[in-house]
Amino acid sequence: MEENVKRRIRAGLILAFIAVVIGLLVWSRIQAYSLAPTYKPLELRAYSPWLIPLVYLYDYFSHAWICLLFAFSMAGLIYELVPKETLTKHMGSSKVTGYTLALGIAPFLTVCSCTMVPLFAGILYAGAGIGPAITFLLMAPASNFLAILLTGELISWEVAGARIIASIMVALTAGIIISKTPWGRQIEKEYRMSSASPASAVEAVKPPLDERLMAALKFAGYLAKQILPYFIAGLIAVSYLEAYLPEEIIRGYLTGVGGILLASALGGPLYTPTLVEIVLGRGIWVREGTILSKGALLSWLMGQPYDFANALAVSRITRWKVVASYVIIAWAGSVIFGLLYGILSGSL
Amino acid sequence: MKEVKVEVIGPEPPCARCQAAKKAVERAAEKLKDSGISVKIEKINILSRDVIQKYGVLVSPSIAINGVVKIVGRVPNPEEIEKLVLEA
Repeated sequence: MEENVKRRIRAGLILAFIAVVIGLLVWSRIQAYSLAPTYKPLELRAYSPWLIPLVYLYDYFSHAWICLLFAFSMAGLIYELVPKETLTKHMGSSKVTGYTLALGIAPFLTVCSCTMVPLFAGILYAGAGIGPAITFLLMAPASNFLAILLTGELISWEVAGARIIASIMVALTAGIIISKTPWGRQIEKEYRMSSASPASAVEAVKPPLDERLMAALKFAGYLAKQILPYFIAGLIAVSYLEAYLPEEIIRGYLTGVGGILLASALGGPLYTPTLVEIVLGRGIWVREGTILSKGALLSWLMGQPYDFANALAVSRITRWKVVASYVIIAWAGSVIFGLLYGILSGSL
Repeated sequence: MKEVKVEVIGPEPPCARCQAAKKAVERAAEKLKDSGISVKIEKINILSRDVIQKYGVLVSPSIAINGVVKIVGRVPNPEEIEKLVLEA
């Protein structure tokens, strides 16, 4: 009895904290309070060079802390509360379920990169095959929950929406095309298992609510610890970019068709699964609240397939032909969708 | 002396959260030794075919006790492991 009351109080406190975090975001919406930084290049340039990053970081965090707090807490909560075992049980069952789940759950399960490759291998081995596995692999970093939320809050929700749609199309196309190639089929044949009905060996237990909530917050903290150092390093680079990179250079080289090609080529090597692509993209293409080229920005944000660490792990399982195919398809996709979005939105 | 097999399932090289899970299991094992239960800890690779054949698609870290996966994709605390081992 005593124990029960304690647990309830603890769960209540954590829920109250989460409610406050959600409330803060809603309040910032109502007040039309900007969660993105507000400094203009000229104002930044007025500071001495070593002060610029400090001023910028202060400006950034004084606005973005609500957004970051919300993003990390929600990512932790969703990851912890999603019934992972039920989802993964069905992931290997058939092609259609495989593709649907790959698209549907990738955004929620892959805020932590260490779950990505195991799930990729699992889907491949367990029967859904190489197609859904590739779709999952490409969808995962492209539109994970944290990335979309920060793209929406720090850049614009229109761009975030375009990013989701483009990622779904590219991931699906890559999966379907690779499952039809001879080398894709070969890998599939090689790995498919004869009798895979392992569901009986899983009887996941659920701890009480207060422990799950606490674990969710701990996971949120773990994510923050993993991501924030890179994020801050990215911001320091961005502060100089914003202060000293003249708008004419961006307009000259990083907009239009050439800009999209350049952005898609740079977006790959500079992509890190740590949200840095978002702050860098913002630093380059967003000037005083206007996006100079929505098309190029989208191409840049879609640079995930060259993510070296994951490509390496995947190539160990599938060999280089599959990796090369998906890298090419994903790169072409980022160019095509950049052009398409640029033309449709009138901001090439 | 009762013996229980606990498998910590994660990728190779291990991710940070898998190491945390393994540490929790080790701590539970130490406590259980005093009450006469020997816990055999094994670290198995989530990417290997045998593991997927046996347990299906999993999210790391996962923990199986006597061949049944009890924990999927989270880091448990040592007390929880202790309880699960006692029930096994």
